[in-house]
Amino acid sequence: MSQQPELGVIHDIGFRHYTGPRLGRGYLLRSLYGESLRGAYGLGRSGKSKVMPFLLLAVMTIPALITAVVAAVTKADELPVAYTQYQNTLFLPIAIFVAAQAPALVSRDLRFKVMPLYLSRPLGRNDYVLAKFGALSSALLILISVPLVVLYAGALLAKLPFWTQTRGVLQGLAGAVMLALVLAGIGLLIASITPRRGFGVAAVVTVLLLLSVVAAVLQNLAITNEKQKLAGYLGAIDPGNLVDGVQVWLFNVEPSSQAGPPGTLGGVVFLLLTIAVVGISYGLLLLRYRKVSAS
Amino acid sequence: MNATIARLTWRSLLGRRRAVLLMVLPAILLILAVMFRVFQGADADNAAFLLGIFGVPFLIPLLGLIAGTGSIGPEIDDGSIVYVLAKPLSRYKIVVTKLVVAIVVMIAFGVLPILAAGYVLANGTSKVAIGYAAGSFAAGITYCALFLLLAVMTRNAVVTGLLYVLVWESAVGTFVPGAQALSIQQWGMAITEKIIGAPAEDLRATSPVGLTTAVVLLIVLFVGTTAYAGYRLRSIRLTSDE
Amino acid sequence: MTADSPLSMRLDGVSRWYGNVVAVNDVTMEIKAGVTGLLGPNGAGKSTLIHLMSGFLAPSSGTVTLHGQPTWHNEPIYRRIGLVPEREAMYDGVTGWQFVLYNAQLHQLKQPKEAAARAIDTVEMADAANRDIGTYSKGMKQRIKMATALVHDPDVLLLDEPFNGMDPRQRMQLMDLLHDLGERGRVVLFSSHILEEVEQIAGSIEVMVAGRHAASGDFREIRRLMTERPHQYTIRSSDDRTLAAALIADGSTSGVELQPGVLNVQATDYARFAHQLPAFARAHGVRLFEVSPADESLEKVFSYLVAR
Repeated sequence: MSQQPELGVIHDIGFRHYTGPRLGRGYLLRSLYGESLRGAYGLGRSGKSKVMPFLLLAVMTIPALITAVVAAVTKADELPVAYTQYQNTLFLPIAIFVAAQAPALVSRDLRFKVMPLYLSRPLGRNDYVLAKFGALSSALLILISVPLVVLYAGALLAKLPFWTQTRGVLQGLAGAVMLALVLAGIGLLIASITPRRGFGVAAVVTVLLLLSVVAAVLQNLAITNEKQKLAGYLGAIDPGNLVDGVQVWLFNVEPSSQAGPPGTLGGVVFLLLTIAVVGISYGLLLLRYRKVSAS
Repeated sequence: MNATIARLTWRSLLGRRRAVLLMVLPAILLILAVMFRVFQGADADNAAFLLGIFGVPFLIPLLGLIAGTGSIGPEIDDGSIVYVLAKPLSRYKIVVTKLVVAIVVMIAFGVLPILAAGYVLANGTSKVAIGYAAGSFAAGITYCALFLLLAVMTRNAVVTGLLYVLVWESAVGTFVPGAQALSIQQWGMAITEKIIGAPAEDLRATSPVGLTTAVVLLIVLFVGTTAYAGYRLRSIRLTSDE
Repeated sequence: MTADSPLSMRLDGVSRWYGNVVAVNDVTMEIKAGVTGLLGPNGAGKSTLIHLMSGFLAPSSGTVTLHGQPTWHNEPIYRRIGLVPEREAMYDGVTGWQFVLYNAQLHQLKQPKEAAARAIDTVEMADAANRDIGTYSKGMKQRIKMATALVHDPDVLLLDEPFNGMDPRQRMQLMDLLHDLGERGRVVLFSSHILEEVEQIAGSIEVMVAGRHAASGDFREIRRLMTERPHQYTIRSSDDRTLAAALIADGSTSGVELQPGVLNVQATDYARFAHQLPAFARAHGVRLFEVSPADESLEKVFSYLVAR
């Protein structure tokens, strides 16, 4: 470079860079996770955004309350609905929650093009996906666990046998974890495809319900054709049933659908499928976010 | 009816991603119908079962939701509705035009496939196909009008509509008998029941609502929501992004 | 509609409130033919006024009329009003030409294609008209929006912050266009919070501050009122007392207030004060730590106008 005549000078006016401690990636991840989780319940956002999640939480919890009260009043031996069956019975509100909140978590960032803001920090794309996935899974876990805990508390107060109840609620919670992961994966993957929130909601709920209805129809077809085993496998199409099947096999409980997974092989297949669904949807999410522009 | 608005609404409703979603649903219905036909033969029972679990409670309400909210929701959301509103056009005309487009989409992707599936499965016996198609049509156009109104009234139209369809119509309807009288689905089924006639009982294609009641309620809701949507559109606020 | 009386947009005692928040407070103004600038800081109520005038908001009290006809719930009035909205969104996947044509068709013009072509020519977008709107720069998008507002040859043109985000060249082009339209007898109203923009083309301006109509009239008058106000400064130095004494003796200030740790000065002769202060500081060996204007915000400037 040739010597340029000095036409202008940048003055040192004492602008100071931040030289203090920086908290690093872990802190970033935890912050994004926490903020997304709170956002899934509308905390930290406008009043209106709290209505839906808390309404759904109430819809999930009230039947548990009623069941517990009924059990106490009628002095029953056991709960009318098993812990492991609860999430399948209330699949609809859970599905609506995923459909409503998955777009709230990811579509807004895409629509208002703030991804470059996220990505220009030490937060990588994969970290973003991890944080969002973790947040929605946790939000769903809370949604399903709260009623289970209420049911458990009610059962204990109704003086139902301690160990059976405790075992039951732990099994239910294990199922809740699996369902939360599966639905979070599917929901986020579909929602991340569109920046339009309304369409994202419609797409997620359509897919979830479609899988549920198709599974029920095919199972029915198989059963009337005396193909019990096939019916069992076909149940895996429905994500709710898939997780339920794993519970049936692991914990030896009653299936919530027309046919559970047939035998040990069925149980193993269901478990592997569950892990595969979570893994594949997470992987596809990572791929999808690789294509998001960072500028 | 305004041709330009119809054209714009049609284009936006059948944009790439929404079109895929809209086509997948009836495609799966027809595949299932063929499967039933192959493995169980043509039977009115099967038709009633499939249409009663896939068609009426799932396909039609969801199509009504996607088409009804999609015909005006995105424009209100991003503010481009101002170009339609800053014109000397009657708001009622705008609403009716968009509603007609939504209904056409609903017929194409909902009612006709249901009719086709019904024929595949029941071969015209006991008028099952026509019955379900007619009931779906009546319920479907009412869903479209209702959800279009919701989209004019709130930014959260889709979720609100979902809560109505899934929680009120399906769940509450199962547990609270009175609620069934206030369900668009059941009103449509009343028409289906009437057309199918005597065999409806055996096919479980019945409705707790009487035919006259159902038809009256359908008309009242359809006309009422459309008119109210036009009224609300006259006063809609152009807000900033969210 | 009488052909002899000139066209104007009138606001009579217009207020608009949302619950407890008053967005526009008892505004009376008349916007006549020519270019009028609606000036005010953000949140002053400019957008609200434009929405009121364009029939997208109803006044909570008072009337908004165009040549005697109310703008609210009056759809036919859009034949005479063209609105250039602030928001960016337009229809996806259409070319500039198609978008303007759609607008012409929505106006139910007899010859929409000719009208669209004319409008596109007026905004000088003929070359780019066949490209997708998504590929347009911000300035091009604004011009296409203008074309949609002009396609039906309206008497009134309302523009909501039209110069936002434009570079100087684009701004100049738009200003020429607006000036032209104003000269031809149309009522052109545009809003802005930047004085320089308004200064260059607005024949008259209306100033809004915190929902109130603060000033109206010729721009030069208002500018004079604004620059002749006393400027407030806050000074922190190593010896406030000495500085205060020197400033009072000098006469370029109308008020000097000594408070613990800080010196508040009201300078009437701004230029002289700016020259004298460092001179005094050096002459008396006083070290200046901070000299900050206490009222340079547009808000303060405008509220000064209101106070007068």
